This record gives sequence, structure tokens and C-alpha cells, in this order.
Amino acid sequence: MSEHDTALMAHLLRRAGFGATRAELERYVAQGYEATVEELLHPEQTPAALEDEDLIRRYHVDENSLMLVESCQTYWLYRMINTRRPLEEKMALFWHGVFATGYTKLNQPKQILHQIAMFRRCGLGSFPTLLLEVSKDPAMIFWLDNKDSHKDAVNENYGRELLELFSMGVGNYTERDVRQCSRAFTGWTIRNASLHTARVARDSVWPYGRLDWQFEYRDDDHDAAEKTFLGHTGAFNGEEIIDIICRQPATARFIARHLYNFFVADEPQVPAWQSVPPCDPEAVRTLMDAFVKHAYDIRAVMRVLFNADFFKRARFSKVKSPTDLVVGTVRLAGGHRFPDVEDVALALETGYMGQQLLDPPSVEGWHTGSEWINSATLMSRVNFASRQFADVNKPGVRAIIDRVRALGTRQSPGSVVDACVDLMGPLTVDARTRQQLVDHVAAAGDVDFEANGDSTSAAERIRELLQLIVATREYQLA
Amino acid sequence: MATLTQEQYRYSHTIGFYAQNGRGFNNPVDVALGRDGVLYVLNRAGSDVELRMPYKRVTMCTLDEDYLGEFSSGGTEEGQLMWPAAVAIDAEGNVYISDEALHRISIFDARGRFLAKWGVKGSAAGAFDRPAGLAFDQDQHLLVVDGLNNRVQRYTPDGRFLGQWGKGGCGLGELNLPWGIAVDRAGDVYVADWRNDRIQKFDAQGRFLASYGTSGRGDGEFSRPSGVAVDAEGNIYVADWGNERVQVLSPDGGFLAKFRGESGLSKWGESYFIANQDELQERQKANLEPELNLSPTADLREESASVEKFFWGPIAVKVDDQGRLYVVESCRHRIQVYRKVTR
Repeated sequence: MSEHDTALMAHLLRRAGFGATRAELERYVAQGYEATVEELLHPEQTPAALEDEDLIRRYHVDENSLMLVESCQTYWLYRMINTRRPLEEKMALFWHGVFATGYTKLNQPKQILHQIAMFRRCGLGSFPTLLLEVSKDPAMIFWLDNKDSHKDAVNENYGRELLELFSMGVGNYTERDVRQCSRAFTGWTIRNASLHTARVARDSVWPYGRLDWQFEYRDDDHDAAEKTFLGHTGAFNGEEIIDIICRQPATARFIARHLYNFFVADEPQVPAWQSVPPCDPEAVRTLMDAFVKHAYDIRAVMRVLFNADFFKRARFSKVKSPTDLVVGTVRLAGGHRFPDVEDVALALETGYMGQQLLDPPSVEGWHTGSEWINSATLMSRVNFASRQFADVNKPGVRAIIDRVRALGTRQSPGSVVDACVDLMGPLTVDARTRQQLVDHVAAAGDVDFEANGDSTSAAERIRELLQLIVATREYQLA
Repeated sequence: MATLTQEQYRYSHTIGFYAQNGRGFNNPVDVALGRDGVLYVLNRAGSDVELRMPYKRVTMCTLDEDYLGEFSSGGTEEGQLMWPAAVAIDAEGNVYISDEALHRISIFDARGRFLAKWGVKGSAAGAFDRPAGLAFDQDQHLLVVDGLNNRVQRYTPDGRFLGQWGKGGCGLGELNLPWGIAVDRAGDVYVADWRNDRIQKFDAQGRFLASYGTSGRGDGEFSRPSGVAVDAEGNIYVADWGNERVQVLSPDGGFLAKFRGESGLSKWGESYFIANQDELQERQKANLEPELNLSPTADLREESASVEKFFWGPIAVKVDDQGRLYVVESCRHRIQVYRKVTR
């Protein structure tokens, strides 16, 4: 098992999941890179994503009803931390950023969690199927006002965003196409729309909490007349419109850029895509070709992506999103493995760092990359990560300490720093950062696990070093 | 003695309304039937953010929905609650509350004044790890279900440890994250053996007597039963939490009846709509019992989340001396009351 293998596997797991502990990496490395990619691509072959769904609902009473947004956020974060299907959850997070649907307008967070569950089911499958499910998703229908789109009074909000933000991107269709697309989705609404609209308007949870929404197709409110859309003519309903959209080269390009930006390397933000070419046009072309060749199958595209050299070379070329930072750090430190009263803090933390899950700032989703970082969010990130490593008895912290100790009972500062930097990633820190870490450790001399017959001091010094490592610039990168 | 049948139970009415404070409940997890007809409803009130700490409380009301007051709040100080799990009343009318986050029992008088507390986290005799169900036995000793320690502990009312039984496992007499508890007129003890999907019966000394149910959705089967009660005839009522229903078993554990819930509007709910006529009109136009076309294996929670009358999170059951059944629903912030009718 080479250092290269471990570093590459850690890279894969940071992108296709939320990072991995050293023990997990060792299992994956023993299995091999391509086999691990296949395991990740087939979450359905892992029996259950979560062992303790019932425990969450038992102890967190509001994560049973999911009435409150922070409960829904906490539930999802806990699931990301503990899932045995990391890519399934990462795909859900990816699509949440693309099909951004927000609590602030819906006042119905559980309904957005339903959408997230749909992303788990469909996120690695056929893109046309995914678009169809998105179009039927009650949260999306409410979010983009399709419940207000009627045969005789078309609302163009969903039709426009379907083309602009969900498939093709600006500049690849006309206003007439928007109109025709919107007409095709008239009658796609939610049951009891009037009641739910009234309840949302006043944020009513009375008398007995919230009521789930369901999709409803109303043929009597659907515009069944002929439409001409992107050069095709027919009495199209939504399904035919989606088929036409998926056949457009612009859609392949748009999805390829999204996948590249989320899984490979930070790109300019979506609004710039019309004028700014991809950072790596060849890579985007490769993903586009895979999308078309495999009949818009996302799993096949992800297989190409994870096995591509451009992916393997792209280590630490992304700024961790707040969710990546929180979930990855918690996983590494070994916290939140059993439902506890502190769990809700996770939801608050990602918010402090600029990512309120289930409540993106707009239909465009979050701006990513370096836009995650400002003086306030950086402070929140560092403080959070440092707190996770403040307890030597946390399983993940203890595991790192034990592995360092296994390298020798007395070690030089340089040796300890190299071991810890390796076990925290492996990370790559620049020479100046490394020297600062070494100087800090050296101030108290060699690390001796048997000094005075007590390993406590050595463990605490390593704990302190780990807290410094998570405060480095390099730790902010994925 | 004649065997009870499904037809002998009638939905009576609903007590409840979502409320952050005052008249109503917030994720209620248990109810105790006190003196003079006072109901003590324990509100666990998620989530656990600072803003919502005041919503954690005990609401006092009557069967007829007269609001009598409330006491306690969220927090870690004496007299406060964090993850309250169960409530029981002693012979003096004092109110005992278990807390799964603070690993302690708190005692209040009948009017809600804090009296005392005990408990530390741990696995030693007399320590707790997420204490859940509470019940007084015939000797007025408090039985505490010690959830993560998979045991039942017995205490004097002032918190002196007397003994314990149970250990983790799925064998007869063993427990897996037990939750609710009840004592029948003979002094036998029933434990909702939550993760083993069964009810176990022990004698007053904790010797195993019987086990009822197995995993499943069929009659007499359970999914994560959370609460248990026994009436004067020995019939056993089970909050079949994971199946979103309540089941009734005969004294020997045979299936008798099941309820899925049929709540109407409570008085408090009616008051709300008197002041919110526009929402009421929308509600009257809507179909509150939509066809969901769920698959046979679909999670029943999805049905409960969509059909308001059904139980959603039936977490605790109690029976009063009139044979009335109280079903506490944590997700619907209410208690559905059923009564027995004579043939």
C-alpha cells in the first residue's frame, strides 16, 4: 500500500463522499481504486444507508415529524456523517445545489427533505428521469410557482428555470421556447394547492403540525394544444419537453460543467458560463461525450469522471463547502455517531459558514469556490474544526493518537508533524506551514509517550497539533 | 370475563393543539393522570436550539381541555428539562419526570414546584444512561426504564436505589433499548422492549413471565413499540410507534384490536379556526384524506404525515379508571382519547 494509493483514495473519498478515516482508507486501498469507484457508484448494493434511522427519530422527537428546518438540516447532516453510501449522499448534495429549493419560501422543510430523498433515489440514474421527478416534486412545484400555472394563465417561472438553471443555460433557447415549455407543464400541480398556499402564507402549523404535499396532474388544467419547442412541434406534455431538452448539446455541456465544478475543480459561477469557457475544456468535453454516449445516464458519466486523469490530478483544487468541512471534520474526529442533544449544533454551524442546507440563497443555489471564504466564515470554519479535535477521547482523535504512538514511543517534532499531517488527509502542506507546526511542537521538545510513565501529556500535545492542522489553509481545501 | 372486541372502542375526542407555550402541546411524549382529573402532559419540544428551550415544559389540563397552567422549561438547571421522556405520579400526587439528556429524575409537586432530583450518567447500579419509561409499582416504588443500559431499576420515591433487572440482548427477559413501562393490578410489570419489537412481562421482582409480539405489521406484531398500559381487566395497550398505530392485546397477549387514529378537531383547534376563518374555509374545501397510493411496504409515517386524523408518532398510551385510552402523538401535538362502550 503506497502513500500514493492512500492519497489518491483520500482524494476520491473527499469528492465522492465526505472524507474517510485512515481505517476506512486502508480498506478501500486494499480493494483497489476502480473497485472502490464501482462500490461508490452502486449504493443500492449496500443494504441500508443508515443503521439507526429509528434511533434518530426516537431521541430527536422533531426529527420524527421534521417540522422545523433545523431539525431537517440536522437529520441530513447526521445522515451524511453516518451513511454507508457516501456517493449517494454526495449526489443528493450536488443536485440540491443545482435544483436549489429553499425553505424560506416554502415554510415546509420536510417537503425539501422529500426532494433530497428523491435525489438519493434518482441522482445516479437517468437524467431525463431525474428531470421528470424534479418536475413532479411538490417542493419544486411550490418553489417555482407551477401550482399557479394554468391552462388559461400560464406562469413561466418553472419553464424558464428548467431551461436556464436546470438543463441548458442562458443563451440556448428563446423566450418563445420558455413560453412553450411552460405551457407543457400546466396542470402539474399539488393536491389541495389552495389550502397549502394559505397555510404557507401564514406559516400555519395549526392545529396539529404540517401536512405533507403530493403531486397532482390535472388534465383539465393542462394546455394540450400544439406547441413548437426548440424546433420540434407537437401537442407536447412535460415528458416530451424533457426528452427534447435532454437531446440538446447545451444540456450535455451544462451538466458536464456542473459535475466538473462540484466534483473536480472550482469553476467560475454559473451566471458566467455563457461567456467564460471551462477551465479544462477537454475534461468537460469528455464528460459531455459520456453523457450523450450513455444515453444521459449519470452513473456512467460519474464512472468516467472518477477514473479520469483530470480528476486524479485535481487534488486540493476545490475549497471545501461548509457542509464538506463540517461533515468531513466530524467524520475524521469521530463525533456524532449516536443521536445526541448536541446534534443540532451541526446545522447551525454550516449556516454560520454560509450554507444553510435546504435553504439556498436563491434558485441559483450557492456560489462556491473561494466565495465560501470571508473573514467571518473562515473564523467559523477554523473554530468549528478546532473544537472537534479538542477531546483526546473522541474515537477519531484517539485513533490518530494511537497510530502516531505506534510509530515510536519517543519521536522528534518533525516526525510527529509529518505523521499527523499524513493521518489528517493525507494533507499536503507547504514548507512554511510545516515549519510553523514543527516549531510549535519543538517548543516542548520531543514527543515522549512514556515520559514519567504517563502518555497523557503526549496525547494532549498531539491533540493540540491536530487543532493547529485543521486551522491551516490546506485543510480548507478538498 | 367477556373478551373485548374492536367494536367496543370508540373515538371520544382529541385534546391538543400545537403551541410554543400556554394552551397546547409541543412534541408531547407522555401524559400522567393526576389527582382531581389533572392531566400532566410532557412536552419534549424539539429541536434543541436555545430559542425553543421555553417550549419544553409540562402542560396541565383536563380531559375536557380546560387549560390549567404549565411548569418547568428547557435547560440543565434544577427543575429544568432537556429530553424529558416520561412522567409518573406518586401516591402523594407528586410528578416524576425522566430526562434522557440529563440522565436524571426530577420531582415536582402537584402544582409544578420543583422538589428534588437524582441521577448521574453511568452504568453502575443507581446510575442512568438515558432513563425513559416510569411507573410506580404496588409498593410505591418507582420503576425506571434505563434505556441504553437495557435494564429496569427500582427506587424509593426519594431516589434510594433498591435493585435492578435486565440486560442487553434479544433472548427472553433480555432487553434492547427498552422504553415504556406499566404495572398491572397484580403487580406484574410490562416493558416496551423497543428494538426487540415486543412487550415483555415480568413479575414484581423482575422475573421473566412472558413475551408478546414479534417484528412486523400484522395483527399482534410490532414495529418499535414505545409505550404500554394495562387496564383493570388486564388488557394490554401498546403504542406501536413504528407502525403508527395502537394495538390492544388480551391479558394473555392475544390480539384484540388496533387503531390507526381518527382525530377530529379539538376545542383548542376549533378556537383557532374561529379566529382564522379564511384558513378554515380553505380547509373545508380541501380533501384531508387524500388517496396516497402507497406501496404495501411504504413507510407508514408518510401516510400519517399526510392524513391528519391518523396517529403520527403514537408514543405513549395510558388508561384511566374509567377505561378511557389516551394516545399521545408526538408529531401531531395532541392526545386522542378513546372510550370503551358496553355491549
